Amino acid sequence: MSKMFLEEITMTLRTILTATAATTALSVAGAAYAESHSPMRIGITQNNVGVDSYQTTYENAFIAAAEANDNVEVVVLDAGGDVARQIAQMEDLIQQDVDAIIIWPTNGEAVIPAVRKAHSAEIPVIVTNSNIAEAGFDFVSTFSGPDNITQGSRSAEIMCDRFKALGIEDEARVVQISGQPGYTTAIERQKGFDDRLPEVCPNVTLVETQPGDWNREKSQQVMEAFLVKYDDIDGVYAGDDNMGVGALNAALAADRAEGITFVGATNFAVGYEAMERGEYWGSIYQSPVDDAEAALQSAIDLISGEELPFLNYFDTPKITQDNMTEFTKPVF
Amino acid sequence: MESMSKAGIGRFLARQGILIAFAVFIIGFTLANGRFLSPENVMGVVRSSAILGVMALGVTFVVISGNLDLSVGSMMSFSTIVVLDLHDKIGPVLAIPAMFVMTLCLGAFIGFLVGYLKLNSLIVTLGMLSAIHGLTLTYSGGQNMDIADKEGTWFSVFGQGSALGIPVPILIFLLLAALLGIVLAKTPFGRKVYAVGGNGTAATFSGIKRARIVFLCYVMSSFCVAVAGLIQASRSLGSQNTVGQGLELDVLAAVILGGASLLGGSGTIFKTVIGVLILGFIQNGLLLVGLQFYVQFVVTWAIIILAVWLDIAAKRGKLLSTIA
Repeated sequence: MSKMFLEEITMTLRTILTATAATTALSVAGAAYAESHSPMRIGITQNNVGVDSYQTTYENAFIAAAEANDNVEVVVLDAGGDVARQIAQMEDLIQQDVDAIIIWPTNGEAVIPAVRKAHSAEIPVIVTNSNIAEAGFDFVSTFSGPDNITQGSRSAEIMCDRFKALGIEDEARVVQISGQPGYTTAIERQKGFDDRLPEVCPNVTLVETQPGDWNREKSQQVMEAFLVKYDDIDGVYAGDDNMGVGALNAALAADRAEGITFVGATNFAVGYEAMERGEYWGSIYQSPVDDAEAALQSAIDLISGEELPFLNYFDTPKITQDNMTEFTKPVF
Repeated sequence: MESMSKAGIGRFLARQGILIAFAVFIIGFTLANGRFLSPENVMGVVRSSAILGVMALGVTFVVISGNLDLSVGSMMSFSTIVVLDLHDKIGPVLAIPAMFVMTLCLGAFIGFLVGYLKLNSLIVTLGMLSAIHGLTLTYSGGQNMDIADKEGTWFSVFGQGSALGIPVPILIFLLLAALLGIVLAKTPFGRKVYAVGGNGTAATFSGIKRARIVFLCYVMSSFCVAVAGLIQASRSLGSQNTVGQGLELDVLAAVILGGASLLGGSGTIFKTVIGVLILGFIQNGLLLVGLQFYVQFVVTWAIIILAVWLDIAAKRGKLLSTIA
């Protein structure tokens, strides 16, 4: 019985080996044929696909852009928000000796050693969407993504312009709902907003900032508490529209939405719709499709030997009820 | 201390330790911010605790039966996403029962693994936490789920409606708590749950079908999760895939805070409700006081540990353990 079994295994193995040899021969021939056009192999490790529609749309757009390009072959990985898993994925990609690695950092500090490893293996690293901490800049070829500090400043400008239009720029009081604590995007947007608001509207008071963790339900709860705590709120700045809409829902339920200017960032479909209804004032238009395509293009440019600036931002314009018709409704 | 535990007041304290801890927090927060006890705020806190609370009711059964359920958070995300998606496809009348059936199937599957196959509940539900999350993402393709016509649906009644001036989520939570409280305290099934958790072997020898009781506890838990998902979906009429992420630990904290033993065999629905309210009021109170966010993590857990300590100290009539 066991002898037969062994023989069977040997046979199977032999078949596999023959097949592999044949395939190898074929692919060697193929490689020779495509010598000048051998596809670039680009690996990407993403932060947390599925946590929000932005990241999901990003992934779909990335894959679509890669498929549209015959010269590109991609290895698409997702860290699921887990730093340890992302580091392991970086190591896998280094082992696979890809031509370039794109990383959407789960944590700006913790991934630095892995990025450094890729750098030592002479694989160019492109950081996408949110940058890693400054200590790691030496090991990164380029950063491709939105400029979150500018986004925060622009939101402050939108808010201030609106207050001026309403004639309350000398007394308005603002609360802020920030993104996940410790997340670079959250920190930068908050910094941009905090720094810019007093420059453009020196008499507006930012009364309190609390995190909504990029989560609509969480920020709804935070806003409920703000509404209890403060009788007078004129503006809410949320680190993204998802949280902004959560805050709006809380204000609507408390019958206090009228008279509050809601400004977000990363215009989501729900934010766009609330703007259409006149309940939500403005946001920052950031397309995950542009984001994904910019990252892939940066990788392709680097592999082709082009020089890129270290900070390779794509533009994220202001969107308000006044100019929203110039923009298509976000798909996410 | 020794003499106090023998006195009448000591016996009262021993039974009501957690209630006293609760009262202490309420007084503390009220002194810190006068609006803490305003009807508006209290109503708001109870309403937003209702979702966690409904889930905690089901988990109370599981914990008393001597098991754990760490899957409720991602299961709630699943129910929320499914009911929102089906709402636009087949209408709310069919979407709600369809979502309940799917969620109950998940609960039955977990119940089968833990009850009939006798697999460790920690491992099974930890695994299901990830598996169900994956299932939800596969179902939705990772996209946010939103009801298209938010104005024109009666579906919003479960999360946003109110009757007799009380928000519907609170009514659902209290009704379900009363119902499950009776089931746990007054029915043969409830007594069997205690028996299985208290001493499984003894329960088996008394002719109790242990596997069936454990199975039913998980089904009960998934039913509560479906109710929670319904409220959540109805409250915001749209959701991320991760809406319930991390709730499993808050639920467990509430149940344990209410005095249920992780080893099984003890706990009541009433105390779980108190545990839920304590958690809700702590989180809200810290926001109102305006503590910096990073500090809130630390303070929340310091208060929870303090509450558990007060409860235990009251039970044994001493602040420190005798075997120290």
